Formats: sequence, C-alpha cells, structure tokens
Amino acid sequence: MPDYGHDLLFGSFITPANATPHEVVALAQESEAAGLDLVTFQDHPYQAAFLDTWTLLSYVAARTERIRLSGNVINLPLRPPAVLARAAASLDLLSGGRFELGLGAGGFWDAIEAMGGRRLTPGQAVDALSEAIDIIRGLWDPSDTSRFRVDGTYYQVAGAKRGPAPAHDIGIWLGAYKPKMLRLTGAKADGWLPSLPYMGSLDAITEANAIIDEAADGAGREPAAVRRLLNVSGRFGAAGDGLLTGPPEQWAEQLAVLTLEYGFSSYILMGDDPAVIRTFGGEVAPLVRDLVAKERAARGTVR
Amino acid sequence: MDYGHPLRFGVLLAPGEHVATKALEDLVDLAELSEELGYDLVTFSGGPAQADPWTLASWAAGRTSRVRLLAAPARDGNPAVVARAAASLDLLAGGRVDLALATAHTPDADAVGEAIDVIRGIWSASERSPLYVEGKHHRVAGADRGPAPSRTVPLWIDGADPALLRLTGQKADGWTAPLALGTPPAHPGGHAEDGTAADSAPADSAPAGTAPAGTAPAGTAAGPAPDGSVVDGVWVGELVAAQRVIDAAAAEAGRDPREIRRLARIAGRFTADRGGFLTGPPEKWVADLLPLVLDAGFATFVLSAGDPETVRRFAAEVVPVLRTAVDRERRARGVAESAPARSAFVRSKRREGIDYDAVPASLAATAVEPGDAAYARVRSTYLRGGSPGLVLRPGTPADVGDAIRFARTQPVKLSIRSAGHGISGRSTNNGGIVIDVSRLNAIEVLDKETRRVRIEPGARWSDVAAALAPHGWALSSGDYGGVGVGGLATAGGIGWLVREHGLTIDHLRAVEMVLADGSQVRADEQENPELFWGVRGAGANFGIVTSFEFEVDEVGDVGFAQFVLDATDTADFLERWGAAMEAAPRDVTSAVILGRPRPGQPLIAQMMAVVDSDDADTIVSRLQPLAATAPLLDYSIQVLPYAAVMHVPPGTHDAQGEPVTRAALADHLTPELSAAAARLVRSGLTYFFHIRSVGGAASDVAPDATAYAGRSANFQLVAFGHSRGDLDPAWDALLPHFSGQYINFETDRRPERVHEAYPGDTLRRLRALKRRYDPAKVFRDNFAFDPAEEDVTPGAAAG
Repeated sequence: MPDYGHDLLFGSFITPANATPHEVVALAQESEAAGLDLVTFQDHPYQAAFLDTWTLLSYVAARTERIRLSGNVINLPLRPPAVLARAAASLDLLSGGRFELGLGAGGFWDAIEAMGGRRLTPGQAVDALSEAIDIIRGLWDPSDTSRFRVDGTYYQVAGAKRGPAPAHDIGIWLGAYKPKMLRLTGAKADGWLPSLPYMGSLDAITEANAIIDEAADGAGREPAAVRRLLNVSGRFGAAGDGLLTGPPEQWAEQLAVLTLEYGFSSYILMGDDPAVIRTFGGEVAPLVRDLVAKERAARGTVR
Repeated sequence: MDYGHPLRFGVLLAPGEHVATKALEDLVDLAELSEELGYDLVTFSGGPAQADPWTLASWAAGRTSRVRLLAAPARDGNPAVVARAAASLDLLAGGRVDLALATAHTPDADAVGEAIDVIRGIWSASERSPLYVEGKHHRVAGADRGPAPSRTVPLWIDGADPALLRLTGQKADGWTAPLALGTPPAHPGGHAEDGTAADSAPADSAPAGTAPAGTAPAGTAAGPAPDGSVVDGVWVGELVAAQRVIDAAAAEAGRDPREIRRLARIAGRFTADRGGFLTGPPEKWVADLLPLVLDAGFATFVLSAGDPETVRRFAAEVVPVLRTAVDRERRARGVAESAPARSAFVRSKRREGIDYDAVPASLAATAVEPGDAAYARVRSTYLRGGSPGLVLRPGTPADVGDAIRFARTQPVKLSIRSAGHGISGRSTNNGGIVIDVSRLNAIEVLDKETRRVRIEPGARWSDVAAALAPHGWALSSGDYGGVGVGGLATAGGIGWLVREHGLTIDHLRAVEMVLADGSQVRADEQENPELFWGVRGAGANFGIVTSFEFEVDEVGDVGFAQFVLDATDTADFLERWGAAMEAAPRDVTSAVILGRPRPGQPLIAQMMAVVDSDDADTIVSRLQPLAATAPLLDYSIQVLPYAAVMHVPPGTHDAQGEPVTRAALADHLTPELSAAAARLVRSGLTYFFHIRSVGGAASDVAPDATAYAGRSANFQLVAFGHSRGDLDPAWDALLPHFSGQYINFETDRRPERVHEAYPGDTLRRLRALKRRYDPAKVFRDNFAFDPAEEDVTPGAAAG
C-alpha cells in the first residue's frame, strides 16, 4: 500500500519523570545533539510522578535551538481548548515555529474525574475533540476579525478575540486507534500518531490507513494531507526476530518498509537511554533516509 | 504601616498588541536583562492578544537562572493541573517560582479559596492519602498528591474585592494591589495598564497621567492625583485600608500579618522635570515610592515598562537610593527588617522538643520543617520512612558547625545524611533533627600528577564516577551509584574494584571535618593522625566530614557482566562461587544475589561481575570460572566506562517502614557456611541475600592500620528480612562462621555488633578517641560506642 511521500522525521519520546527533571531536559538536548527532528513527551496530568507536560515543553523549547517539540499526546480533557490554542501559538512563536500539537481525546476517565475533569464516553470524547480542533484553529486565525463564538455540545467560546497566530501552521496530530477517531483524523487532522505496540498487527495499520484515507476523501482532502507518525520501541544489539530488535541496519530496513509499504514517515522512539537515542539519530535515521530516497527515486514517488 | 519585609524589585513583562515572534523575543530579552540588572523577579501578563502567560513564564525560566518568576496560570485552568504545573516549573527552575492567582476575571473569592485548597493539597506530597476537595466551584475526588515543589511556592492574590482581601489574610502568601500606580510609559507598545498576570484590563481606558481604571481598594476609585501628591491621605489611605482588612483576617486566622508580602505595580517616566507620580528624575521616583514602603506596607515593586532604558535606569538610579532611604527610615523608626516569619500553617506542624526559633540564621532559610513543601523530598531515605522534626541543610563547613552546635542543645534524636542511602546509619528519624549535607557536593581535581581529588560528602558516587571519567580515573566506591560519599567513605567502601584497588577508605589521604563541638579540623597522617585512623572505618562517631581528599586510580572501560544462574543446589553453588572468587585474579570482583525461593521453580541467583579490562579475551577468561559455578540460564556482557556501570540518575527517596537486615564479613565460604546460608535462603526468612567479594587489595592493609578491622575477609554478606524477630535468630545461628562486621548493611542494634566491627584494641583506641572528640556522645545513632564504657569484650563478639 501507500507511501504518502512525506519527508522523514525522527524523534524521541522521553519519560517526563519529575524525580529527575534535569535528566529529562538533558535527554531532550541529547535528542537535538543526536540529530533528531523532534522531541516528544507524554501528557498525563493526573500522573503525580510526571512533570507537567506543557511546562516542560515550554522550558525545553527555551533550552534547545533547532529540534521541534510535541506532546505525545496532549490530554484534551484536562486542558481546555481555548487555553491550549493560545499556549500552543505562544510556544510556537517563542520557539520560532518549532511546536506541533499531538492531541488525544483522553482515556483514563477515573483519573481525569479524580482531578476534577469531566467524564465522557469514548464516543463523546471524539466529538469533544472534533469541537476542540475547530476552536483551536479558529483562535489561531486572527485574520478573521470577527469575534469568535462557538456554542458546542462540549465547549463554548463566547465572543473571544482571536489570536495569537502561531509562527507556522502547527500540525494537529491525533493519537487514534478506533474507527471513529480514525475518521476524525482523516477529516480534520494533520497527522496520525499511534504507538506501534498498541497497533497489534501490520494488517491493523493497513486497515487504519484505509479508514483515514476514506475519511479524508469524504472531507475533500488529499490522503497525503495527513502525515502518518509512529511511536516505536526497540532494542539495539545482535539481530533478533522481532521488529526493531537488532543492529541499526536492520532497524533501517524495517523502518524503510514501514515508510514505503505502510505510509509512515515519522518515527518516534520510546525510551530514556541516551546511547539508544544517539544511535537512532546518528545511525538509523540517515540509513532510513537513504533507503527511502533511493526507493522513491526508483518508483518515481514525488511530493 | 511597614511590615519590615526586605525590599524586592521586579519587572512586568507584557506583550504588546501584536503578538509576534519578535515581540515575544523582546520580552524574553527583557527578562534576561532584568536578571542581569539584579532584579529579584519578573512577572508576565498575557497582554491584549492573549499570549499564554504560563508558557511565557516557563520559557523565561529556561532562559534565566537566578531571577524569580511570579508566574500566572491561564484563566480557566483546572487547579489540580495548575498545582502540578507550578511544582514542575519550580523543579525545573530550581525553586524560583511564585504563583499568581490572577483574579481580575475570577473575582469570586470562594472559587479562589477552593483553588488554593486544591493547589496546596496537591503539593502536600508528604501526606500519603489521596486528595479530596469538595467545593462549589472545584471538585477533586481522590487525586494522587504530588509533586511537591522544591520549596514552598508562595501564592499571591491579586484583587481588591473585600472578600478577596479577607481570603488573602486567611490563606495567601502575598497580595498584589490591583492598581498599577503611576504614569504609563510615553511610548506606544507598553502596557502599564494591563496589570499582571493574565489580567487584561483594557489598554485604552486610562488617560496618561492617571491611574488606570480598575477596582480600587474598598470600592473607591483612587490613585495619585495628577500633580503626583502621593502623600495625599485619600490615596494612600485606601491602600492602607485594604491592608488592614488583610491583617484583620490574618489575625483572625491565627496568622502573623508579616507572613503576607505586599506588592505594588508601578509605572512611570524618567523626565528632567518633576511631573506627576513617578514622572521626573530618579529622586522624584524615590520620593514617591518611599511613603508606599513606610506608610502603606509595600516592599515589593514591579515595574511595568516595555523599554529596556527605563528598566536600566530604575535599577541603577532608583533601587539603590530607595534601599538606602528605606534603611535609614526604618532604623529611625525602629522597624526591624525581617523576612516574613514561617507561616502559621508551617508552625502548626512543628514537633515538640525542638526550639525552632533558635535555628541559626545561617540555616533558617534552607531548613525544612514538616509543614514545608520540600518536606516530602527530605523526610525519608532509600529504605527507611521517617518523620523528622527538622532537616538542616548546611551549605558550608561553617554552617555544618552551626548545625551541630544547635542540634546538640536539642533533646531529640540527631541523624546525619549525605545522600540518604544508608541502611544502618539512621539518616532519618521520627521527631528529631537531620543534618543533611547534600548541598556540600563539590568534586574537584587537586593535583593531576598524583591523581588527588577533593570530594564533598553530599556528592553521590554516580556523580564522582562521571566527574573522574574524563581523566581516565575512577575511585572504587560501593556498587551502587546512588549512594552518597559521606556515609560510605567514613565506613569502608566495598565496590566493583575492591579486589584490585582496595576499600574506598584505603584511598583516603586527608579529611576536613566538623567535630561535636562545632569546630573544624583537618586530619591526615601528619595532622591529627589518630583521628584520621578512626575516621577510616568509624568516622560517624567523631563528626561530619565536609571534605575528603582521595588518591584515585587509573581505570578505563571495564567488562560488566550479569548472569542468571540456577542455584537450586544452593550450598554447592555458594561454595563453588566462593572458591572461584578466591582463586580469581584481582582484576575481577563479583557479587551474587539470591531471592526468596518460589514453590515449584528453580532458585535463581543473579551474579554480577566487573573485570577491570577492556580486552574481550581477558574479560571472558575471567568470567568463565564464575559462569561455571551453576547451570547458566542467561547472561549479558558489556564493555562500558566505569561511570556507566555506576550511572544512577538523581532522584528523591520516599521509603516507608524500617529495613530489617543482618550483615557480616566472612573469610571463606566454607562448606559449613555455604550449607548454613543455603538453609537460611531456603527458609524464606530473607527475601534478598547478597554476597559481595572482598579480599585482594583490601586484605593487603593491616587490621590495625585503620579503624576498619575486617581485613581478612574475602566476603561480605547481607540478608534482608521482613521481621526482626524471625531474621535475628536465624542469622545469629550463623555467627560462628563469620569473622567481622560491615557496619553499613547491619541494622541490628544490639551492642555485640559494635564489637564485631571493632574488635579488641580497635575499640579501645576508638573509645579513647570518642572521649577526646565526642565525650557527650552527640553522634550516637550510627554504630556509636560509649566513651565511658569499660573495655570489656562481651562473649558474643566475633572472632
């Protein structure tokens, strides 16, 4: 199946442990030094052992120069969309256009409710996310000088002034697995950001891509408007049977297949080992780029 | 009306109308400039186009290192999330955060009060129960608490509504007067009128030269008259009236009004001629601000200025003159300058027996009490839960002296802590005092030729390994990098290079320490040699070492191996492993761990080994005899820098309960000892049984050369159990097999253990030292011996 032809991005996924805040920041800087394109942090505001992801993203952005940043993924139920939109635009402006908005509908409802958040069913949460995307994009567009009003089922905006506009078109990437969420991704999002361990099988990836593509088509969009990103985990070492278990060359071949046959173009490595981050950025990424460039040239894939 | 607070000055950073990258960069530049100019704090407003103030503050935290951040969350924030965000910012920024609860848009004092309860509840990580707050506006139902900020994050309330003023008096740490006082800057783009922190009062509502529209204290529109007559009674009077409402509420809540700092936002213009309030030359500014300090209770001023020039001039020409004037007037009026006393809340959590008000000034600011936010991080240690009444954190040897002199007058327990990893040393307690030397953590090379390094007690061995690695050096310590230097380097130090390079104390060349009377001494082979002898093995009895000088070794990459073995034939395995280790060259050191047996499963042993070589053949040849001691189930071998073997990220401890261990030294894993140890493991009374190899270079040193007497031992053993009552008799049955004691792993407090560690003449010498250096037994909680006790060896002593 498809190769959507996106440029390749490689990133890290660092545990935002609040017991070791400076190690977390150092790993982000290590990611930049390793040549990675992206550093990401999970967002579970109910998790008392984690740093607040938004604060961490802002602090890390100030301590890095080049690398792009994203939540992986930001917890919408505990972060009101209007606040999120302005915070995202502010961070994008401060960082010179380095921020992307990985966003999720929320899942741990007991914990969300314990924090004072609102419990939704999974279906309602997808609808709420859809409204939130409209609000976020609406606030990012100060060229529209009308007062911004939204009277949604889940979120309301009562005549807000729009703005600020971000420095670049911030990508909204959704962590999606189930059909309804995949359809929302195809209809409205700029990226799909699942985790490989949760996908189960390669067939499930193909099915999910098809749902996204169909929804994009239904919304009058090109399927290629939705970047496909993937959180992966693995181990460097002697060649093994599993996916991403082996030397960097084996990783590169497998990631090239995921790019050319399964449509992914961004790989975010989960884990906190600086040596692994260095190998991923320094060895795997150039090899994958090389393999994919050659194959795309041979196939005549252009984007 | 003057609360005697030290003067502080800050800068308000407000984005202009058009929020763009350039404008925000300018703001952050201004934050950095403010830090350079010596301002105490910066604060942020969202500005008219609503940049997110929290994001701005977090970004600025990343670009500054000293200045405090008075940070405001975005409106509509969930208070539990705000609490974690504020604690996170505090942890990232190194304790530089104040939290502004902006209220111009949420004037409901009830909602703010509930938010404060949620925020403080989340920060109270030392309470182990989940947080419930059932409010009208905010509801939290069983959220996990934490993280605690690194120090108490002051909460500021901004508002003039009488209910908010009362709330400030009841609960807040600071009050921000809602008016920006003074003349807005003349140039466009500045927004003196914004107010701080997400307040977005309309920028165009106040004509220049008057105070902006806003809710005045006590509901009366007020401000300096256009002619600048700030001493006009009406205007100051309104502020004073508001202060009185706060103070009355504070007193009613049992608080000292000095707990609450008072902040005024100011804006003005430097002009040659005197104009209105804060319009004129610097003298005019000083004259205008002085009465606000002396008569209206404000000691924190935040300058609202968009231009660097005003920020510079204020710092250079107003701040020092105002400080001098305030000092002079306060002296004349007899107002003592004092930081606010610890809050009534913190005082309410104090423990009996400690005279908190007598804590020396050098220690007061960094001390942690049970009511302080940082308490969750310092109360417990790696394996031991604690509830000390006071944790003192001296930052210099002189402060250590102050701490000891204070602590010895208090009728409570005293514990000494370097990194809190100790198993035997009680580095926490219940209701007593802890002297925590973790801030004394420097590592420096003194002489490259002789590989002489100076290390302070609060450093961790992981940090030491990382600091020595660039030189190609290492110092054998323990086998875990999270352990602190002080507790280990005064007791022994059985680490991964022990057989080749000896104990950590064998590398010690000199110490500087603070004695029980608070005095500082140096001890080495020439100066105080007997004390230097005693420090190497029994240092905790004589004082707190503030500086160690070591001679370290040249160590490159090492082979690090982990084996999983089937130790079902346990006695046979122990005997074979013991024999293999005694036969092994000194460049290999190893340890085995046996867990609790599980029904129907083989007994698993983990074996770890370090070979001081980066040559694969050498490593394999050293490991083969060890791997052959039992059926091999799994293994990994890596060649790593020694620093990578020791790498442990910094973290905090939060143990509960009390560890139950027994420890010993043994010369050989004889068939009898191996069989007895196997029976102990099989009994299930120990869930973690750990034997480390020693011998080699550690045995080259004579037993009387240091206070560490167990030089004949080839092995060190420790067993962890759940129950003292079960483990003690089982372990006591093994005593005939042992040759000594390693104090850092032993938690049995019966006096025989002291005699095992310090037999015969060693103990006689140590008692003489104790009589000389600590006759009052100030240091009594870590294998302490009684200076006065007769030198009689009880029957149970090992031998």
